Amino acid sequence: MKRWFVGSASVLIALAFVAAGCGGSSKKSSSGTTTGSSSGGGAKGGTLVTVANAAPSGSPDPQVNYTLQEWQLLIITHDGLVGFKRTSGKEGTKIVPDLVTSIPKPTNGGKTWTFTLRKGIKFSNGQTLTGKDVKATFERLFKIGNSPNAGTWYNVIQGGDACVKTPKTCDLSKGIVVNGDQVTFHLTTADPEFLDKLAVPFAFILPASTQTTNVNIPPPGTGPYKWVQYAPSKQIKLVRNPFFKQWSADAQPNGNPDVITQKFGLSVEAEVTAVQNNQADWMFDQPPADRLGELSSQKYASRVHVNPLTATYYFALNNNVPPFNNLKARQAVNFATDRNALVKIAGGPKLAVPTCQVLPPNFPGYEPYCPYTKNPGSGKWTAPDMQKAQQLVNASGTKGMAVKVNTDTTDTDKALGLYFVGLLRKLGYNASLQALSSDIQYPYIQNSKNKVQFAFSDWYQDYPAASDFLVILLGCDSIHPNSNSSPNIAQFCVKSIQKKMDQAGQLGITNPTSANKLWAQVDKEVTDQAPWVSMYNPKYIDFLSSRVSGYQFSPQWYFLLGQASVK
Amino acid sequence: MAEFAFEPEPEVRLAPGESVKEIAGRSPWRIAGRRLVRNKLAMGALVLFLLIVVVSLLAPVYAHHVAHTDPFNSNLTGTTTVNGKQVEVIQQGGGVLGLGEIPIGPTWHSNYFVGADNQGRDVMARVLYGGRASLQIGVASALICSFIAAVLALLAGFFRRGTDAVLSRAMDLIWAFPVYLLAISLATVLLTKSTGLQWGPIQVSASSLWLPTMIIAVVYVPYVYRPVRGQVLSVREKEYVEAAISQGASNFRLMFSEIMPNVLSTIIVLLPLMIATTVLTEAALSFLGIGVQPPQASWGTVIDDGQSLLYTRPWVAIVPGIMIVLTVLSLNVLGDGVRDALDPRAKVRVRE
Amino acid sequence: MFAFIVRRIIGLVVVLFAVSVMTFLIFFAIPGIHPERQLAGRNPTPETIAAVKHEFGLDRPLPVRYALMMKRLFISRDLVSYGNQALKVVPAIWEAAPVTFSLVLGAAFLWVVGAIVIGLVMVTFKGTFVDPILMILALIGISMPVFWLGEVVNLLSQDRLHDTFLFSWVPPLGYVPLTQDPWQWFLHLVLPWITLSVLYIGFYARVLRANMLEIESEDYVRTARAKGLSPRRVLVRHMLRTSMITFVSLFGLDFGVLVGGGALLTEVVFGLPGVGMLTYNSLRSLDLPVIMATVLYGAFFITIMSAVVDIIYARLDPRIRPA
Repeated sequence: MKRWFVGSASVLIALAFVAAGCGGSSKKSSSGTTTGSSSGGGAKGGTLVTVANAAPSGSPDPQVNYTLQEWQLLIITHDGLVGFKRTSGKEGTKIVPDLVTSIPKPTNGGKTWTFTLRKGIKFSNGQTLTGKDVKATFERLFKIGNSPNAGTWYNVIQGGDACVKTPKTCDLSKGIVVNGDQVTFHLTTADPEFLDKLAVPFAFILPASTQTTNVNIPPPGTGPYKWVQYAPSKQIKLVRNPFFKQWSADAQPNGNPDVITQKFGLSVEAEVTAVQNNQADWMFDQPPADRLGELSSQKYASRVHVNPLTATYYFALNNNVPPFNNLKARQAVNFATDRNALVKIAGGPKLAVPTCQVLPPNFPGYEPYCPYTKNPGSGKWTAPDMQKAQQLVNASGTKGMAVKVNTDTTDTDKALGLYFVGLLRKLGYNASLQALSSDIQYPYIQNSKNKVQFAFSDWYQDYPAASDFLVILLGCDSIHPNSNSSPNIAQFCVKSIQKKMDQAGQLGITNPTSANKLWAQVDKEVTDQAPWVSMYNPKYIDFLSSRVSGYQFSPQWYFLLGQASVK
Repeated sequence: MAEFAFEPEPEVRLAPGESVKEIAGRSPWRIAGRRLVRNKLAMGALVLFLLIVVVSLLAPVYAHHVAHTDPFNSNLTGTTTVNGKQVEVIQQGGGVLGLGEIPIGPTWHSNYFVGADNQGRDVMARVLYGGRASLQIGVASALICSFIAAVLALLAGFFRRGTDAVLSRAMDLIWAFPVYLLAISLATVLLTKSTGLQWGPIQVSASSLWLPTMIIAVVYVPYVYRPVRGQVLSVREKEYVEAAISQGASNFRLMFSEIMPNVLSTIIVLLPLMIATTVLTEAALSFLGIGVQPPQASWGTVIDDGQSLLYTRPWVAIVPGIMIVLTVLSLNVLGDGVRDALDPRAKVRVRE
Repeated sequence: MFAFIVRRIIGLVVVLFAVSVMTFLIFFAIPGIHPERQLAGRNPTPETIAAVKHEFGLDRPLPVRYALMMKRLFISRDLVSYGNQALKVVPAIWEAAPVTFSLVLGAAFLWVVGAIVIGLVMVTFKGTFVDPILMILALIGISMPVFWLGEVVNLLSQDRLHDTFLFSWVPPLGYVPLTQDPWQWFLHLVLPWITLSVLYIGFYARVLRANMLEIESEDYVRTARAKGLSPRRVLVRHMLRTSMITFVSLFGLDFGVLVGGGALLTEVVFGLPGVGMLTYNSLRSLDLPVIMATVLYGAFFITIMSAVVDIIYARLDPRIRPA
């Protein structure tokens, strides 16, 4: 997913984080980590007050919203058939059964999945969850017409493609067969990531009676909390769901606070102050650069947690437009890039780690690889190689060409763009900056009509699978000419690499381990072709009030709000 | 801000301490010039303003020969010498966690005199270059604005009726239209069009200073238009104009040789105040990120850069602000002087 | 008089219509503006975008879209933001307006009182050293960019001097509604009021001074003096009262501009969620429904105040009939 806070300009700053357990980030974090998957850990009761600059953007409908901000709340109010284990560390990427009793093995060559629903689970309106609700949920996903990934993720269910064409009459009777507690999915083709797709909020089960147009507050769900207020200019409020009884501490542990609120409208500066003074327990946004010094100080350090994210910040080089349709030119920029300088923009070595490749560390298929450095070989970036870069530019014959560096207008991203304007000028290009409002920039750079040459972008995982980066951002099928929705911004398409991606995808159904080996190879081959200048992997700062205990950071959902305790 | 409130009279009057002999037989312009030169405060302001202009013009000299920096390129990993020691321009934050990066503060030496911004660029050099852009935009837009407003006011006041009604309504429209919207949408249009805008031979690209110049010029037309139109209307009624009309003078001649000279003093009085206003507006637009585009500098953009460093490196935002205050102050004082020189009425008081 | 008022009201409607059409056209002239893309979320398929486009009527011709938007803004009042579809535009303005009114009314009070006091002092002490000093101070007030002044005030009150007796009372940036806690409301607004009013105090004091000095030479003032009225009485009863005509009309225009969202910079710097902030945020995210509503709201106040000022003038002097 694209960075979730696009648009809330003030945030900007560097992301951050804190390697769990690394650096001096607090004894509390390690004690938090050890509480691990213990469900009932921590004292119950009280109100967890969180603050954010603005409400999550987009529709509040759980099947439409695509922001981490809302997902962090949806995971404690709703459930999917399966879910990511609610815990910190690598364990948190594991898929566990949630509304179903166990994770089945697919049959029919990976095309048929049969789940058995747990008995007696109730929605927050008192209704009991049945197979009918499951089928209706997936039909609704298409019927509402604006669910972003309906046509890319869920059309793999038989009948899905027809639903994309005519949403109003969507009928998935062929694709989802309900038989008592048994729900069977029939897919058009084997999908190694099907379980991941069932574990994100688009596929969280809603009551069959939910209206098939966008709702203004998430409808009843099965989690330990329910939504009672959604006022985009004021606050969101969750209270306990009286019908919730814990069935799996791994998948959906009971929550600690009685009430969770998120207040909107404070500036990011004011958010920091509010948490410092314990007027709020947690701030959603990242603290601004000029407050990081305070947070680093003895006084607050124990309340700060920094965690690495599985995300990559990059500039996409358009492989179809001069000068970067030339491999040597692309590699030259990669060699010349001083990733230490970029890390400084992102808030320093404690908040970002340089990278040369597509996949982030701690991700399936990740193997450190960096050919674009002085003394390559170790897989780590150490220093730029300006000499080599100059040679490559000269050899490419692209010197003197005009390059527009495209970024959005948030401080950090604009600063990154300015760095490259300077660098490209040094390499002999005639570079200038094109900084567009965040809401325009992302669609604009995707559209091949605009012939964008050098564009800032970033990517945060949707779920832990190599294809979520490589196929979506660099696969041939992700190019839609003249469309604003063409996530392969570099327009990178190499037949032989695409073939390997397809192979790795197939292999993933039967043998995930060797599939990930293949993905690592794909990552390297793509990196050698230099469709991007990969810059860094960010880290994330959580700043808590002094009364919060039981902090846990899930690699999938970040700070687990329901597991924190304020008593 | 509200309209400029004043209304100079065309006749020459005596300023305090001036004898009839001193002004007898001289043209009103020469008298005004004499008065202005005698006004010490106004002359001081003029000197201050010219000083700021000169210093800004010397920006390249400062950047290349004194500070030895390139104020338009980021210098994130560079070093500089402070008290004989090599230090990084951008340093990692301290504390227990070491989060964040802090640019070097004021060295009060030739290099990084008031410190660096978060790109590691020399703020003093950027402020000086910024002065060039801010002053250029301020002066050019004030001139363009006055010109457009004067022509429109002449047309409206001379032809009256339909012309007047249409033009005055159009002015109401501009008046009611938010300047920020105009600026942000024009800037976006220009940024996304690869060729920029083209009006006949004039081509404007997004990074051009002409974009904020034109926007600001258009926005302030009604401010100048209103007082000038009022004056044209009253001059139009004067006998000598009627006389010229009865002699069959052409409209063009009437407008430019009979009426124009009479309203010129109004425009001249307004000009320093207009420049003061346009300099402030440029700063506001750039502060909001919709004026001068990076990597170029203007005072407003430097303040914008300094905003995110306010608590750690306040000088980045303070220095360009002081430059704006000095510039605008000198123009306002000068404006007062010019007004008093052209229209001493405000100062003539007979105390009995 | 009646005809004049009717003409101004028609003028108001025409201006508002023209402003809304201009906003609409400018917005859709921006390449890269695709509301359906904004509405469809992060990574939609082209089919989803097409469906959303149809759903929201964005595939219709421009005039129809304009009419639909106006209908949803004024008649059904259920226009929603492109950015957050749970955000209804009309209630959003209603919620932001009290913040802006709080800010502008307080600042207006300060600047009227401040300007009159300083103006009177300047006239009374004309010819002494006090007058030029106040004059220069007023000029400095006019010469400071309000956003810069606000930043410096924040720097001192929130950080550098926050722990001293001077500013230890200053609450964090933001706004507290009057109905929730009047005392906090007051504390949160004190510095924004002062910051916003500095420019106007300087400007109005100068206008007042110039006006009063002009009136001083008028016959009726001399007559009043000759009759032996006390200088204070002449100053306040005659000179100040007459000068207030210009003062009030200027005030009307400035007040309209500020209430209409002109205090944008002050609101942004002090984190006050008023109409200016709403305008600013919607411009940054190019959120047309909110832009449209805030632009019309602003244009309404600006135009109506300028009409009111004209009417006052016309009452005072029937010869004046502004075009």
